[in-house]
Order: sequence, then C-alpha cells, then structure tokens
Amino acid sequence: MDEDQLIERTAAGDSDAFGSLVGPYLGLFFNGILRILGNRADAQDALQDALLAIFKDLPGFQRRSRFSSWAYKICVNAALMFRRSHARLREESIDAVTGLGDLDRDGHHLDTRESLRWSEEAMALAEAERRQLRECMLQALAGLPDTLRMVFVLKDLEDWSTEEIAARLDQTTPAVRQRLHRARLQVQDRLRAHIQGRPS
Amino acid sequence: MNLFASCREVRERLTEYQEGTLSRHDRVAVWLHLVICTACEAFYRGLRALPGVARLLLGPEEPPPAEAGQALEGALRRIGGHRH
Repeated sequence: MDEDQLIERTAAGDSDAFGSLVGPYLGLFFNGILRILGNRADAQDALQDALLAIFKDLPGFQRRSRFSSWAYKICVNAALMFRRSHARLREESIDAVTGLGDLDRDGHHLDTRESLRWSEEAMALAEAERRQLRECMLQALAGLPDTLRMVFVLKDLEDWSTEEIAARLDQTTPAVRQRLHRARLQVQDRLRAHIQGRPS
Repeated sequence: MNLFASCREVRERLTEYQEGTLSRHDRVAVWLHLVICTACEAFYRGLRALPGVARLLLGPEEPPPAEAGQALEGALRRIGGHRH
C-alpha cells in the first residue's frame, strides 16, 4: 500500500494504516521534538500528543505539501505547546555567554594562534566520529536553558525566520537575536572543546 | 562601538552582523575588524557554519529510538480508547 492509500485509509479512521503511515517518520518526528525539549521522556510524551493531532487532523490534510513536512510541523508545534504547558522555563543567566576564548583586559585575543577553525574539523570528523559528535551536540543542546535552546533549534535547525520565532515565542526580534547569539556561542564552545580535546 | 572595536565587542555582535541588523557604523566596524583579525574571522566562520554542522550531526536516528515506538503505541491506544 503506498503513502496516498495509507493517508486515505487513515483519514477514514483506520488506525493500523496510521501506524504504517507514520512508522517511517517516527525517528524524524522524535528527533525534531527532542531537539526542542532536550529530554527524551518529555519528547516521548510530546510525540504521542503530536501523533494524536496528526491522526485527528489528517482528514483536513490538503496535500499541498508532502505528508512528512505537514506532519513534522505538527510535531514542532506539539513540542512548543508541551514546553509551554508542562514545564517552567529554565531561564538563562545574564552572564551565561561563553565561547569568547581568552581575551586581554581590553577585549582582544591573548593568543591569535589558537585554532578556532573547529567547524572545518567538525565537518572532516563528521563521518568517522559522527556518533560521538552527535552525542556532544545533543548534550550541548540539552545543556542550554530552554529559552536559548528553543530559539537555536527554531532558527538554526528548523530554519524559521527571526520574526516568526519572535511572534511564536512572544519575544521582540532583538531579544530573539540576542538569545540566538548566546545559544550559538555556548553550542560552539562545547563543540570546539570536544573537537580540540579540552574537557567541556 | 568604536570604529576600531575589540574582539569582545565584535564577537558580541556577530549574529546581528550576519542578520544585517547593525547600524551602518557598527557594520563597518565589525567588517573592518574581521578583515584584520584572523581569530575573529575564523570565529565568525565557525558561527556561520554552526547550523550546517548541527543539521549534519542531528539527522534522524536510524533505527527510530524505542521512545518513538512507545509514543506510537500510546497514541494508538488513545485512538482506540476514543472510539470505544
């Protein structure tokens, strides 16, 4: 049975067809939710909510996009709703900005020879050490305060515009940019430490 | 921001610089600094590369994690429960 047939049968209320329809995308959906929530148990609960919403809304699916894209958006929304309704946000501390390296009293580098080209190393290492790097990235995301992680995930992983994020999270666009920057600095610092062999 | 800004000042503005939301004066100051400071230029390159690296590393797990299967089972139970 192809995907179109599974959609038809699910829309008619066939839960077995629904299982077959979403099965190939469960990893994608779970992963997207996990990135926002940073906790596997919460992600499981939010995915369950999302799957119910997908099942319920499928009769209204207009097929203007691929099923997986449409359903993925529902999963992202479910994660945001879950965060809003189930947990108090862990707010970031004002001085949480890291990743600036060693600077002198005037704010200039102490050692300009330091290798900061971690991103090229990450790309080069990605195949050989993908699992380790993936774990490091997940830890970096999980270690971010919720307010920073949501902005980072929506902007840098989900490709939302700054304005969309600001509207959705009820923040100003400068606040979104500031949080995005702080999140990037912290994530970059963690990855760079891992790649360069420093304890993170 | 001073036209000859410090590394710290520049790094705190790199996301705004990338998004094009700095004033013309600050944009020029950051640009000038990136031209002359190889460390900050490399740092900026790393920041710009971060989304791509993150997407590369955080692709879907294969096979789907056990939690995803359990979520589906839970959803199917709830769908069945609503029907009866």
